[in-house]
Amino acid sequence: MSAASSRKIEFIAVAVIATFLIVGLPLLNAYGFVDNFWINVWGKYLCFALLAISVDLLWGYTGLLSLGQSMFFALGGYMLGMHLMLMIGEEGVYAKAGKNPELLPDFMVFLGHTFLPAFWRPFYSFGFSALMVVLVPGLLALAFGFLAFRSRIKGVYFSILTQALTYGAALLFFRNSMLMGGNNGFTDFKFILGSDLRTGATQRGLFIATAVTLLIVYLLIRWLSHTKFGLVQRAIRDGENRVLFSGYATAHFKLFIFTLSAAIASVGGALYVPQVGGINPSVMTPEKSLEAVVWVAVGGRGTLLGPILGAIVINALKTWATVRYPDYWLIILGGLFILVVLFLPGGLVSLPKRLAPLWKKFRAPAAPTASTPAV
Amino acid sequence: MKYFLRAVFLLPLFLCLPSGAAETPREIIARAVVSTDAVTQRTLVSSLMGQGEEVIPELLTAWRSDAIFLYKTDSATIPVVLSGDKDAAGAQVATRVDNGQPLQDAAGQPLRIVGKDYKTADHTSALRRAMKAVLDIVDLVSPNRTKRLQAVQTIGQAQDASKIAVLEARLPLETDPHVQRALREALALIRLKDANEAVKLAALVELKELSTLSSSDFLKKFLTEAEAQKNATLIAATKSALHSVETHRDVVDFLGTIFRGLSLGSILLVLALGLAITFGLMGVINMAHGEMIAVGAYTTYLVQNIFGTGIVIPFFGLSLGIPGMNLSGWAYQFYFVAAIPLSFLMAALVGIGLERSIIQWLYRRPLESLLATWGVSVVLQQIFKLMFGSNNVQVSSPVYLSGNWTVNDIIFGWNRVFVIGFALMIVFGVWLVLTRTSLGLLIRAVMQNRGMASCMGVRTERVNMLTFGLGSGLAGLAGAFLSQIGNVGPSMGQNYIVDCFMTVVVGGVGNLPGTVISAFSIGLTDQALQQILLDPVIGKILVLLAIILFLQWRPAGLFVTRSRSLED
Repeated sequence: MSAASSRKIEFIAVAVIATFLIVGLPLLNAYGFVDNFWINVWGKYLCFALLAISVDLLWGYTGLLSLGQSMFFALGGYMLGMHLMLMIGEEGVYAKAGKNPELLPDFMVFLGHTFLPAFWRPFYSFGFSALMVVLVPGLLALAFGFLAFRSRIKGVYFSILTQALTYGAALLFFRNSMLMGGNNGFTDFKFILGSDLRTGATQRGLFIATAVTLLIVYLLIRWLSHTKFGLVQRAIRDGENRVLFSGYATAHFKLFIFTLSAAIASVGGALYVPQVGGINPSVMTPEKSLEAVVWVAVGGRGTLLGPILGAIVINALKTWATVRYPDYWLIILGGLFILVVLFLPGGLVSLPKRLAPLWKKFRAPAAPTASTPAV
Repeated sequence: MKYFLRAVFLLPLFLCLPSGAAETPREIIARAVVSTDAVTQRTLVSSLMGQGEEVIPELLTAWRSDAIFLYKTDSATIPVVLSGDKDAAGAQVATRVDNGQPLQDAAGQPLRIVGKDYKTADHTSALRRAMKAVLDIVDLVSPNRTKRLQAVQTIGQAQDASKIAVLEARLPLETDPHVQRALREALALIRLKDANEAVKLAALVELKELSTLSSSDFLKKFLTEAEAQKNATLIAATKSALHSVETHRDVVDFLGTIFRGLSLGSILLVLALGLAITFGLMGVINMAHGEMIAVGAYTTYLVQNIFGTGIVIPFFGLSLGIPGMNLSGWAYQFYFVAAIPLSFLMAALVGIGLERSIIQWLYRRPLESLLATWGVSVVLQQIFKLMFGSNNVQVSSPVYLSGNWTVNDIIFGWNRVFVIGFALMIVFGVWLVLTRTSLGLLIRAVMQNRGMASCMGVRTERVNMLTFGLGSGLAGLAGAFLSQIGNVGPSMGQNYIVDCFMTVVVGGVGNLPGTVISAFSIGLTDQALQQILLDPVIGKILVLLAIILFLQWRPAGLFVTRSRSLED
């Protein structure tokens, strides 16, 4: 298979899948062939695919295994969640009961607050919230990445530190005094941009938005990996010291990638929240990061389609297995992961290539024997 | 010791008994019950004043509540206490008041008596007052030290001026220094209520000298009263006493924090030691290290059950137990001694199995080994859940680990003292293994230069396996300790794994002294921040931040194993 033809196949596949997701599924849903429930579930998968891409951008392309992506994902979710909480307005439980004249989020009333804290106020604006979705995780990644890459923390150390950061952040968000909803986080959203979140049409719109975002991110990373920047990025993965000694400031490259991937994860989180209908600190734990790493590993790291495929396949498996075998789901997940790491380092995407020789052998069993007598 | 104690207990008895020293309290009470003269009765009962034997409150209470009866025979009247259920004839077992023996008939057989055989022993109101006076202070003179201490504290906190005389009488007789202090405190607290200002001042001086934590609340209350009265001398004296109490509290808190920090540090140390060895040797971060802790803790739980009621193995219908063992047997207390080596062995075996089956294929891919071991950790957690349920299991502390020493108000729990001591022993043991045995030599050789060691004929595969077993076994040991301090549950390892990684990273990989120092400093900082901020979560977050910043300064940890290699 030549490079050109494989690119053609990829282009056709992506075009078909994208058209199906962006146009086909919503149309089927609008005419009642696909249930709202499944649109919601698939919307969730696509958000996870965004998270998986952000992991892959770091791990697959740059060799940095970050266990902090779930934190960025959740932060993005929280930023948009703050806006959605304020949009509940008079539909809140306390407001309906007439006990919430200031129209605070319900959890604040529950905790006995009487006015909206200053850092919550700008979130009345959707534009500001959308900006914060990118800015807050981006700046956090910038600050942490600056510290980490400046002192040349890499490999397993980087993983452990990002894990610790995520752990700390989750502990912080679990607290009520953080004023971010504590254990229960945000939930019970009603409106986004004036449309009712509880209707199928809004959910369909969000699904389309997610699919479009995914396509854009996919194209962006595809473009990036074909530039010189992408080349340096992969060179850092394969031999950082050589790149460093060739005169490239590897730390700057890594910092850019880390920040970019934080922003991607964060956008994924922001799209996740209105579709799932809530966010709480358990999304932020290091285990969730590791789960995202599993998706990438199973799908195939260092590829563009691998993380998307992995996120969808594993989550579909999860949806099925948590109902059928609730006790054994984690054993299936862990076992699958061990098997993939041991036996299929290239992930699902590499399967066709690995099966190709077998397929050839199956098609022409006599061929190998014919060529051996020369020895 | 025994004789000394007995002497201590007998002393007040001799001093307080002007008459009838040969008679036991039982005999005195029996005589009082039988006596028909009210004055004699009162004298007899009052003569019990100051004695602490437990039979006195028992019998006097019985008498007051009409539970002592007079059984009349032809020759004498015998006071008895009835017990047990009535049988068909309405008869009950009777116990003699004077010697505590069952009532017997002429032939020496236990006698059961029915209602018409006896009548209730009377008591006048004057007699009841005398009894109450005895009962009030009976705990003060109890042979049991804890009971005495409690009685004194209760009286002091009630600030009842009528008890001053009793306490003062008791003070010179008390020999236990703790109870003596408590007596002085109680007296001073009561005197704070005195009308005379000089007495109040004297009490404040006394409280200042004692500086007990329990007096702080009373002093604060007194201070507000004094301020309301605008009495400058009293305010000054109270403030000085309060200051002294608070200084004492600070010292206690400070030392207590150090102690808790050391014990947390010791657990981190044992945990991180295993991780440091495996990571230093193989570059493998074992995400399932936390589950090795759980393996150790669950082994302790199983051993406890085997020593106690036995366990049932569901798959084969077998039950495993040691004959003659039960929860109350003396041997049950020693389950922990057996659990320590077994938890090490069990975790080591699981670790070796893990190394052989998975990790050995991933030495060239450290990041992926991190992921594979995470998979193992998820699987193991779920297996624990299926085997032992998702709730925490109960591991009881043996008697010798569940007490504490209180030195100058600082509480030293025996379990924590034990953990610190044992951790130090383990560090010493690991140091011995690494520096004084041939296995240690091989481990160090492989750590420093795997290729070269292999060329010299070291079977690096085997060394890897044993080292991994050692590291996992240490985690299992830590699990056995944790079962004495914290909860044992399927995800217990997750609570420690991040701290544990931090300890290794801060200490410098594969470096024993570094690990020791970093474990204790993280433990101490954590506890100190908890104490200062009164908030464990914020403290923990600050520790994590501090570590991230620390790594800016020393990216490779406290102690760096230097090498000329670029890629490590």
